[in-house]
Amino acid sequence: MRLLSELKGKLSFSISLLSIFIFLSGNVQALDGEKLFKANCASCHKIDKKFIGPALAGVEDRWESQENLYAWIKNSQDYLKKNSGDGYAKSLFEDYNKSVMTAQALSDEEIAAVLDYINNPPVKEEKVEEVAAAPVQAEDYSVYWLIGLLIVILVIIKVLMDVKSSLKQVKAGVTGETISDVGPVAQVTTWMGSHKRTTAALVLLVIVVGSVDLWFDAKGIGVYEGYSPEQPIKFSHKIHAGDNQIDCGYCHGSAYKGKTAGIPSVNVCMNCHKGISEGKVWGTEEIAKIYDAAGFDPEKQQYTGDEKPIEWIRIHNLPDFAYFNHSQHVVVGKQKCQTCHGEVETFDYPMKQHSDLTMGWCVDCHRETEVAMEGNAYYDKIHEELKERYKDKPIKNFTVEHIGGLECAKCHY
Amino acid sequence: MSEKKYWNSLDQLNGDSTFVEEAQREFKSELPVEEFLAKDSLTDTSSSRRDFLKFMGFSISAAALAACEAPVTKALPYVVKPEEVTPGVANWYASTYNNGGGFASILVKTREGRPIFIKPNNAYPEAMRGVSARANASVIELYDDNRYTGPLMNGEDTDWDTIDSDIAIKLKRIKAKGGRVVVLSSSTSSPSTRKVYESFTSNFSGSSANEAEATGDAEETDVMNKVNDAVVYYDAQNYEGILSANQDDFGVAALPSFDFTKAKVVVSINADFLSSWLDATANSKGYVQKRNPDNAWMSRHFQFETNMTTSGAAADVRGAIKPSETGEVAKMLYNAIAKKAGVVTAASGSLANDDNDVAAKVEKAAGELWANKGAGLVMCGSNNRSVQQVVNAINNLLGNYGQTISMSKTNNLYNSNSGLDGLIADMKSGSVDALIIAGANPAYSLPGSMGFEEALAKVGLTISLADRPDETSTLCGYVCPDNFFLESWNDYQPYTGVYTMAQPTIRPLFNTRQAQESLLTWMGVDANYYDYIKSVWKTSILSGVADQIASDDAFNRAQQKGVYLITNTNPEPQYVGNVLNAAKKIGVSTGTWEAQLYFSTAIGDGSQANNPHLQELPDSVTKISWDNYVTMAPSDMLENGWETRTAQETPANLVTVTINGYSVNLPAVASPGQKKGTIGIALGYGRSVSGPTGQTGQNLYGSLSFENGTYSYSASDVSVVDAGEKYQIASVQTHHTMMGRKIVNETDFVTFKQVDKNDEVKGWNKDVKLLDAFGRDTPVKEMNLWDDHGIELGHRWGLSVDLNACTGCGACVTACHIENNVAVVGKDEIRRTRSMFWLRVDRYYSSDTTEENAKESGKGVMDMYADMEIPSDYPEVVFQPVMCQHCNHAPCETVCPVAATTHSEEGLNQMAYNRCIGTRYCAANCPYKVRRFNWFNYNKDPKFTDINPSQNDLARMVLNPDVVVRSRGVIEKCSFCVQKIQDGKLVAKKAGRPVQDGDVVSACASACPTNAISFGDLNDSKSKVRADFDNDRAYFMVEEVGTQPNVSYMTKVRNRKA
Repeated sequence: MRLLSELKGKLSFSISLLSIFIFLSGNVQALDGEKLFKANCASCHKIDKKFIGPALAGVEDRWESQENLYAWIKNSQDYLKKNSGDGYAKSLFEDYNKSVMTAQALSDEEIAAVLDYINNPPVKEEKVEEVAAAPVQAEDYSVYWLIGLLIVILVIIKVLMDVKSSLKQVKAGVTGETISDVGPVAQVTTWMGSHKRTTAALVLLVIVVGSVDLWFDAKGIGVYEGYSPEQPIKFSHKIHAGDNQIDCGYCHGSAYKGKTAGIPSVNVCMNCHKGISEGKVWGTEEIAKIYDAAGFDPEKQQYTGDEKPIEWIRIHNLPDFAYFNHSQHVVVGKQKCQTCHGEVETFDYPMKQHSDLTMGWCVDCHRETEVAMEGNAYYDKIHEELKERYKDKPIKNFTVEHIGGLECAKCHY
Repeated sequence: MSEKKYWNSLDQLNGDSTFVEEAQREFKSELPVEEFLAKDSLTDTSSSRRDFLKFMGFSISAAALAACEAPVTKALPYVVKPEEVTPGVANWYASTYNNGGGFASILVKTREGRPIFIKPNNAYPEAMRGVSARANASVIELYDDNRYTGPLMNGEDTDWDTIDSDIAIKLKRIKAKGGRVVVLSSSTSSPSTRKVYESFTSNFSGSSANEAEATGDAEETDVMNKVNDAVVYYDAQNYEGILSANQDDFGVAALPSFDFTKAKVVVSINADFLSSWLDATANSKGYVQKRNPDNAWMSRHFQFETNMTTSGAAADVRGAIKPSETGEVAKMLYNAIAKKAGVVTAASGSLANDDNDVAAKVEKAAGELWANKGAGLVMCGSNNRSVQQVVNAINNLLGNYGQTISMSKTNNLYNSNSGLDGLIADMKSGSVDALIIAGANPAYSLPGSMGFEEALAKVGLTISLADRPDETSTLCGYVCPDNFFLESWNDYQPYTGVYTMAQPTIRPLFNTRQAQESLLTWMGVDANYYDYIKSVWKTSILSGVADQIASDDAFNRAQQKGVYLITNTNPEPQYVGNVLNAAKKIGVSTGTWEAQLYFSTAIGDGSQANNPHLQELPDSVTKISWDNYVTMAPSDMLENGWETRTAQETPANLVTVTINGYSVNLPAVASPGQKKGTIGIALGYGRSVSGPTGQTGQNLYGSLSFENGTYSYSASDVSVVDAGEKYQIASVQTHHTMMGRKIVNETDFVTFKQVDKNDEVKGWNKDVKLLDAFGRDTPVKEMNLWDDHGIELGHRWGLSVDLNACTGCGACVTACHIENNVAVVGKDEIRRTRSMFWLRVDRYYSSDTTEENAKESGKGVMDMYADMEIPSDYPEVVFQPVMCQHCNHAPCETVCPVAATTHSEEGLNQMAYNRCIGTRYCAANCPYKVRRFNWFNYNKDPKFTDINPSQNDLARMVLNPDVVVRSRGVIEKCSFCVQKIQDGKLVAKKAGRPVQDGDVVSACASACPTNAISFGDLNDSKSKVRADFDNDRAYFMVEEVGTQPNVSYMTKVRNRKA
C-alpha cells in the first residue's frame, strides 16, 4: 500500500512534472513566436487587421505551399523574380502599392514559431471597464434645490398663517369677541418697533454677511479654476503623458517656440495613432474620431483627403488684454509645465484648468520665482547692475519682480 | 537757436480768438453724450429717475449673473500643420510691391498664414530701399471685401471653366478672321509679364504673322510693330515728356536713374521728387544720405515750384513759380549755364510778377551747378517733351550724365504711353476685336474728351483683369479677377540689373486667378505662372549661368531673398539733342489763374483710394485728410474774402473751379508758399466705382489734357469762383497745438559747422537752463520735481528723430497704425479733433526773417521781432514727427487717479488700458498732446462700419494678434511698440545673448524710408540711438518743462549760404 501509494505519488509527480514540462516547452515556443513577431513583423502587420501589410491570421491557408510562404517571408522580391507565375504573390505585391516587404533574416524554425503564434494568439484579457469614475461633472443643482425649498417653506408659512387667522375668526365667531385683523407685515413691524436693538443687530449682520459673501463671489467672477468641459474626443493626459511617458513637448512643441502652447494638429496624433487604433478605455470609438478628422481610412490604411478640424473646447482662456508667452516661461524661465498646469500626467479625461489664472496668481509667482540668470548671457549685465543696486540689502536671489516683472506693460499691451 | 517764429496754421499765426480759446482745451467739443447714449428709441420714452434706478439695479444683477457663465471658446488646430508655421510666431516673406508706379522691395510679416505688416527688404540696395505709406498700407487692401470674389460674365457670376471656354472660342474666331487683339496694361517692369503679353498678342495677331516669316525682313519689322501695337501701356501718372525727350536726345525712350549720393547741387523745377515724382522712395533715400550735416559736405537743394510740396519743404532755396513758367525757368537756367560754358544761348523771356526773387535764385543755382560740374542734378516735373529736352541739355552741359544721372542704368517703372491715342482711334473705328485690360483704369483717369467709354463699347470682346471693381472693369463684358499682389508670383526689373521677386504670402482668398495665368490659359499653354517665370529667367536673366543646378539655385535664392542683382555693363548712350530747336518749341500760355495738379503722398494716382488708412493719413503739407481741395495762396484768398482758417468752427468756402472747361466744386484751403495766382488740386480722388472710402473727394482727371500719350498736369485755362457754400474739412494741424512753445530747432550749415552749439551769441542748440530759487542759471536736468527713476537697469529704450532726414512722407504713421491696430476714425471724427494718431507728423511754417538776416539788413530789435510775426507769403516748412515722448518725469503719470499709466524700469511710459477709467486727466496734462481717447467702440459702432477695417470679419484678419484692440472709454498712445521690445528681448534671451542694436525696431523706424527715426537701447553704448542722443544736434522738445523725454530730436540744418 505504502509502495503503491509511493508509486502513485511518484507517478503523479512525474506526470505533473511532465505536464509542467510539456506546458513549459509549449509555452517556450509560443513565447518565442510572440517575441519574434513583435520584433520583426509588428511594425507592418497585425494579426487580425490590415495594417501596412495584410492581416496575418490565416496566412498559411492563403498560400499554396508552406515552402512558398517561407521563401516569400525570407525575401519577397527574390521570390517574385523566381516565381513570376505565382498569381497570388503578384497580386499581393500590386495590392499593397508595390511596397516591398522587407526581407526577413529568419530561420525556418523561427518562421514556424511566428506562424504558430499567429495561429494561437494570446487570448485577449477581458476588457475591464475602468472608466474610472468618469468625472462627468454633475451640474450644480443645489441652487435650484434651495430656491424650491424656499418656495415650499414660504407656501407652508402662508398656509399656516391663513389657517391660524381663519381659526381665530372661527374662534371669534364662536366666542363673539371682535379681534383686530392685524396682518403679518404689521405684526413684523410692530415686533421690530418694540425690539429696535435686535432689529438693528440683525440688519447689520445681514449687511456684513452679505457684503463679505458678495466680495468673495465677485472675486470669483471670470475665474474658472477647475474648468473641465466635455471635449469632442475623450483624450486622457494620464494615458499619454503618464502611462506612456510622452513628453509634453511632443504634442505641445510650440510652447518652446512661441506664445501659444498649441493644441497639436491631427497629423501629430497620426504619428502614433496610425498604428494604434484601439485604446484600453474607449476601444476604437475615440481614436476613430481622429481618423475621421484626419481623413484616414483605417481599413485601407489610406488618407482620403477629407479632412476636418477637431473643435476642441478651449480650457485656458486669458483675457485679450493680457499677453502671455509660453516660450518666455518654459525656455528662458525654465519653468516646468506642471507649475501652472498641475500634474497633468495624472489628469484623466476631461482635462481641467489647474490654476485660477488670475493676475494675483501671476504676480505672486513673479514675486517668488528666481530668474534663471546663470548661463544666459542676456542677463549678465543686468545681474551685475542688480547686485550693485541691492548691495546694501540682504537680497541674494533676484526674482522676476526685481527685473521689472510686475510692470504693467510686461503683460498688458 | 534762431529766434524765428513758427506757426502751424494761419489761425494760430493771426492769434484768432476762437483758435486761442480752442487751443486752451485738449478736448474741444462738448462731450458727445447724446450720440453714444441716446438712440432714437430711448429719447422717445420718458424714463424717470426711479425707472433709471430700477434699470440700474436690474442690469447690475444681470451683469453679475451673466459674468458667472463661462464663455465657451473653441480652439481649432490645423489638421495637417504646415511645417514652417508655428502658431504665435511670425514668418517673413520677401516680395515686391508695385502699384501705380510706387515700387518697393518688401518683407511681408505673416502670422498663422495671414499677411499683417510690410517693411523694407534689406536685400534691396540700401541707397534705394524703403517703403512708402502706400506700400505699407497696401496690406489691408488684401482683406478688402470689395474685391471680386470670382469671374464675372456680363455681370453674372460664373466659373472659370465656363468663362475660359467662352473666351477661348471668341479669341479663336478673332484669330481665324485675322482680327486684332490688344492688351492694355499699366506699366510693368516685369520681364515675365511682358513676355506673357508679347506671346499672347503674337499668338492672336492673326494670319499675317505667319506670312511675315516667309516674306522678308521689312515685313518682319512690320509684324514686330504690330506686336508692339498689340501691347499698349497706360498710366494715370505718366512720364511721356521725359521718355520722348530721351528718345530724341539719346535714342532710347527710357527714364534715367539718379544717384543722389554724388549730387552736391540738386535743382528741381516743379518735380516733387521726394513724394510723387518717379521712384520717390528711392529718391528720398539717396537724397537724405547727403543731407546729413555731420558729413563733410551737404548737398544744396534749389526747388522752383508752384504748390508747396514736401520737396519744397526740404529745399534750402525755394522759388515760387507759375506752372506756365516751368519751361521758362528751365531755359533761364540753361542760358545762365550756357553763358558760363560759352555756348550759344536760347531765346528766353522773363518772369512776370516775380515776387519771390526767382530770377536771382535761378542765377544762383546756375552758378553753383557750374561750380560743381558733374556733381549736379537737375530735374523737371513737366510732362512737356521740349522742356525735358532743355533739362537734358543742362545736365549734359554740366557733365552730369554718367555721374549723377545714368541713361545706361534706366528706371523701368514707367513704359511709354504713346500707343494709347492710336488704340482709342482704332477702337472707335472698330478695328480692335478684343481688348484685355490689366491694371489700367482708363475709364476713371482719362478725360471724358478722349471718348474711351464710347470706344470701349465698340470692341467686341472686352476682358478686365482687375482684382476689384473699378470704373473700367464694370464696363467690360468679362471680368477675370487677378490675385492681389500678396497672393501672386511675379518678377520685376525696376532698374537695369536690379531684379526683384514677388511671391504669394497667402493662398488666394477668393476664387481669383493670376492675370498672367489667365492669358496663358487662353493661349492654350498649360503652365502655371511660377514655372513660366522660372523658364523666362533661365533663358534670359540666368542665361549666363551654364550649370543647371547653379541656375536653379540662383533662381531659388532670388525668390527667397526677393532680390537679384547683376552688374550693369551697358555703355552710357551719347547725347545727340538739339536744345535750341527744343527751346523754340516751348510755348507759354498764361492765364489769370493757373492750376498745377498733383499726386498726394497718400492717395497717389487713386488706385488705392479705397484704403481707409491712406484716406486718413493727412496730406504732408496741408495736414488735411479725407478730401481733396483747392490750395491757394493766403493773400489770394483774402482778396476774395475766403476763409483761410481750417478749424471746425470756420468751415472753408466751396469754390467752383473750371479747368479746361471741366468744373468741380471743392473747398478752398490756404497753403502758404503757393505761388500767387495759382491753385493746386490733388488727383486720385473721387472714384465713382469703388468701396465707399474711395469715393471721397472729386475726380480731377477730367480736367487734364491728354495728347500723344502725354498728360499735362498743369493748365492755364482756369477760373475760380465762389460757389456760395461752406464746407467742413478735416484738418489735423490745428489740433493739439503746442501753445506757442518752442519745439522745432533749426540752423544753417555754416553756423552749424563754425559755431559752438552753446555759443553765447550764435549758439544754435544751447543747453536749456532755468533760474533756480537763488536766481542761478541751472540746467533743467538738475531741477527735478520728482525723484529720478532707476533707469540704469538693463535697457532704456529711446527714439531719435532727425529733422534733417524727415521729408514728411507719413510712412511712419501708416506703419504705426497697422502694427498697433489703431482705429481709423473717419472725417467727421477728425474734424472734431478726435483723431487717433499715435504718431503724427507736425508741419510748421516759419517766417523768412531770422535774427541773422535782420542784423545784416540793419533792423532794430523791435523791427526784427515785428517782422518775424509778419506772415511770409513764401515761408519755409519743417516737419516734425511727434509720438509719445516717454518722459522720465511724465506729467501724465502723476495725474492718473487709478495709476493706469506708469513708468517702467526700461524707460517706457506704460499704458494699462484695462485699468484706465477714462478721466482723460493724462491727456490734458501732456505737454506733447500725444494721448488719444477712445470716444467710441470703433470696432463695433455702426458709425464706423465703412471706414474701420476691424469692423469687418475679413479685414479684421489684418489686426496684429500681439496688440489688444482698445475699447471705448480708455486713453491710448504710442507704446514704443512694446510688443516688439518684448519680442526682441525674448529672442535674445532664448539665444542666450545680449540684445543687439537692430534687434528691436519700432514700426515707425522700420518704415521710415529715410532712416529719420532710430530706435534702440540708450544703455547700449554702441547703439545708433545713443550716438544720436550724444550728438550736438540733439535736443528735447520743450525741455524746459523738465519732462526728460526718451525721444530726442536732431536740429534741422539747412544748407543756407550766409
